[in-house]
Amino acid sequence: MTDISYLAIGPVIALTVGVVAILLIAVSYKTDERVLGGIAAASLLAAFVLGVLQWVEASDNPTTRFNGMVALDPFAAFGAVALAVVGVVALLVAWPLAVAQGKRIAEFLALILLALAGLILMAASAHFIMLFLSLEVASISLYVLAGFSRQDADGNEAALKYFLLGSFASAVFLYGVALSYAATGTLSITGTAEFLESNVLLESGALMAGIGLLIVGLAFKVSAAPFHMWAPDVYQGAASGISGFMTAGAKIAGFAALARIAVTSFNPYIDDWAPAVAVLAALSIVVGTLLALAQSDIKRMLAYSSIAHAGFILTGLVAGIDGVPFIWFYSVTYAFQVLGAFAVVSVVGGPAGTRSALSDYAGLAQRAPVLAGSLALLMLSLGGIPLTAGFTGKLFVFREAVDAGYLWLVLVAVIASVAGLFFYLRVIVLMYMHPQAETALEPVAGDSIRIALTFVAVVTLAFGIVPGPLIDVVTSALPI
Amino acid sequence: MDFPILSSLVWLPVASAAIVVGLPRRRPELVIPVAFGLSLITLGLAGFLVVDFTAGDPGFQFVERTSISADLGIDYHLGVDGISLFMVALTAFLLPLSILASTSVEHRSKELMASLFLLEGALIGVFLALDLALFFVFFEVLLVPMYFIIGLWGGERRLEAALKFFLYTALGSAFLLAGIVFLSAQANDQLGNITFNYLDMLDVELSRTAQFWLFGAFGIAFAIKVPLFPFHTWLPDAHTEAPTAGSVILAGVLLKMGTYGFVRFNLNLFPEATVELAGFMAALAVVGILYGAAVAIVQPDLKRLVAYSSVSHLGFVVLGIFALTSQGLEGGVLQMVNHGLTTGALFLLVGMIYERRHTRRIADYGGLQKVMPWFAGFFLLTAFASIGLPGLNGFVGEFLILLGSYSRHPILAVLAAFGVVLAAVYLLWAYERVFTGEPDREENQNLRDIGLREVGILVPITALIIFLGVYPKPALERIEPAVERVLERIEQRTDFESPLRLDDIAEEIR
Repeated sequence: MTDISYLAIGPVIALTVGVVAILLIAVSYKTDERVLGGIAAASLLAAFVLGVLQWVEASDNPTTRFNGMVALDPFAAFGAVALAVVGVVALLVAWPLAVAQGKRIAEFLALILLALAGLILMAASAHFIMLFLSLEVASISLYVLAGFSRQDADGNEAALKYFLLGSFASAVFLYGVALSYAATGTLSITGTAEFLESNVLLESGALMAGIGLLIVGLAFKVSAAPFHMWAPDVYQGAASGISGFMTAGAKIAGFAALARIAVTSFNPYIDDWAPAVAVLAALSIVVGTLLALAQSDIKRMLAYSSIAHAGFILTGLVAGIDGVPFIWFYSVTYAFQVLGAFAVVSVVGGPAGTRSALSDYAGLAQRAPVLAGSLALLMLSLGGIPLTAGFTGKLFVFREAVDAGYLWLVLVAVIASVAGLFFYLRVIVLMYMHPQAETALEPVAGDSIRIALTFVAVVTLAFGIVPGPLIDVVTSALPI
Repeated sequence: MDFPILSSLVWLPVASAAIVVGLPRRRPELVIPVAFGLSLITLGLAGFLVVDFTAGDPGFQFVERTSISADLGIDYHLGVDGISLFMVALTAFLLPLSILASTSVEHRSKELMASLFLLEGALIGVFLALDLALFFVFFEVLLVPMYFIIGLWGGERRLEAALKFFLYTALGSAFLLAGIVFLSAQANDQLGNITFNYLDMLDVELSRTAQFWLFGAFGIAFAIKVPLFPFHTWLPDAHTEAPTAGSVILAGVLLKMGTYGFVRFNLNLFPEATVELAGFMAALAVVGILYGAAVAIVQPDLKRLVAYSSVSHLGFVVLGIFALTSQGLEGGVLQMVNHGLTTGALFLLVGMIYERRHTRRIADYGGLQKVMPWFAGFFLLTAFASIGLPGLNGFVGEFLILLGSYSRHPILAVLAAFGVVLAAVYLLWAYERVFTGEPDREENQNLRDIGLREVGILVPITALIIFLGVYPKPALERIEPAVERVLERIEQRTDFESPLRLDDIAEEIR
């Protein structure tokens, strides 16, 4: 092997070292939980720094390393940086839950880092087998996290459901890889593109089926309708402290992988797959929005809203390579919003809680003004009100979709986003305009949650008001 | 660089909101005086803007432009012309009055003041924005403070009204957003660079079909805001349930975003569609005039009556705009200001007796003239202004509108004139039931007449009502050039010729 570049897998190495260190220290010494948390934070920081170094290295000279297995390009570097930051915020949000695990805290932290390693590698894979492996590393870690509270029946159900449907999706994805290989004779993501550009397929059936199955497999992972059935049960059943990370991480990495194979490998066939993606997008938006309207549990509502948001992000994908920067913008800002929203849920319903009735939020503004204020801001952003990142993201993906000729999709999307406002506003109405129940507890947010919420609020407002800097970055974060 | 007066007008209210929120919680008595003082600074700036504005210049003045993001083609681009000038001034003028009218609010008054300031900043932003993305941001974001104003400080059915208001107008905005995005995509095709800039959009050549779709997308958003019949159903609830300050801003300024949007965007950007659809829009406007007035007559609730009268009066504005004559358009723009003043005053007056009696039902009153003579006097004067009595502001606007529309749509103009008669019916009949006769109900016999604070609210607004009725020239000479330019644009782009142009007549006489 000559084509080794430790920088290309630097963030993954950092996280893996962190995992090993946490597990070894936890079995060898009786340590304070803060030490383990510190190690986790340090390895995330290292991953972040290495991601930035990747960016510096790759921005002029994007390449693939390890004989075409791993990409060292701005796309991968941005994914690593974004996921490392998401990891830090997720760690802050999940910290009360981690502490509540007692002795099992080491495993809990290790699983988060391992999931992140897999997710980062998903964005960096330049080869279908590499992509499949990283997808499995990430997914298996997330299955276990979903059911981490062994005594909790909801959690177990969530984990099992997630595992069964998730493995089914992985199998579908793998079948797609096989069919694509059958049609093109290569498993390299860039190699597929080269082959398709220089050859005309007489029979494109196998390739079409392959593309279709690849999209379906990843659509499962990002919970796009009609492959969304698992999402509400899983996000509700998992402990509130970790649901946000499961949603955020899977969205960023899933869309990164989808964007990379769609606009790199199968770019020559964009006219064939883009209409299918547009239908998926429209379905996700409509189904997610309509079902969210009927929810009385905030976690289920957020889950259905995440289905709708998957549709909005897919709206950017129909524009091909032009939409990629805005897929990044949308998925990253959405990730922070959903982390923040679940953070509030984890305070109100308890970090290990699985259900969180909307009625618990009545009069929250008087009991916990900071929590209510953050959640209100996040709801406005998820609903797409201007001056928040949620609006900016929508504006950009809509414009790309119109440029690509999908006006009908944008019309569906804007009308659905109005209907969506109804349930986002309902949370605000409950918090600010309803009297509180007499027995209501006073939720107290710990320091870690406060820091996370402040960060999320700043990001949401900053990129809503001044999106320029992030846009400048994501417009260069393109795959090779 | 010159003093950025337009930016100050947008951001000073936002800063004021922050200052008010930062006031110590232990000193609630400070809130109103501080808020009032801050709102006067903005008003002073707006007054300076009106005086410093160059009358006779049809273009945008005091322009500020910085790029927010070159990649996205979004600019921070502000400018004022004769069409937006008085909207800005009206917003800044009504805010101090709304603040004074909110002294009876004890529950979270800091937050109410902050919401009012944010609303003011966003409204001024809507009227000044010359970038479509920026315009949309202001247009949409002001729903949030308005939603809270209705939902937190409103009447009994406030939650329902707030939600209805928000969703209805957000639906309109959705179409607007789709339209803006589509227009920007067209501009991208033709000009070769990504832009949302209004001035660039003026150069975009749109096909007839595209113009119709875009006219529809923008038109629905603005028609809901106006509200034009049949999109008016959110209005009575929102106006009735909002607190006095909210109703004043809502009726006074917020509705004008719709009519302003028609003039600024539909007429300028989609001239061909405008000319073809003008008759249809004017007909809808006349339906609104008569329908609004007819429904207002039978309202048992004083605030609802004023709310429906807005539907009727805004119909006049839309009629004037789509007459596509210089008098009609000029009258329409002027009437936007006039309606803001008279309806604002009516809501303030209704708020004053509501504070005393806690009822809005007309049947609960009677004979107030005897116990509150000053109040009755102000009410009658405002009602006359609203009806359009010569010498008061409403007359000037309505006369110009009817004159301007008669030359294009004589039948519609005649029908619309009946709206004036109906206005006299609902307002004077309401006056009769509330103020005349004997105060035979016990609760009405000992009502206080208006105090110093209330006189302070009513005198400035009444003075303006009379001033604009007697001497509208300063306003008209600022509005006219901008309006003429809109018509010139339509004539250049289409084969439409506006009848009865004042300059043409003057030319012929010479």
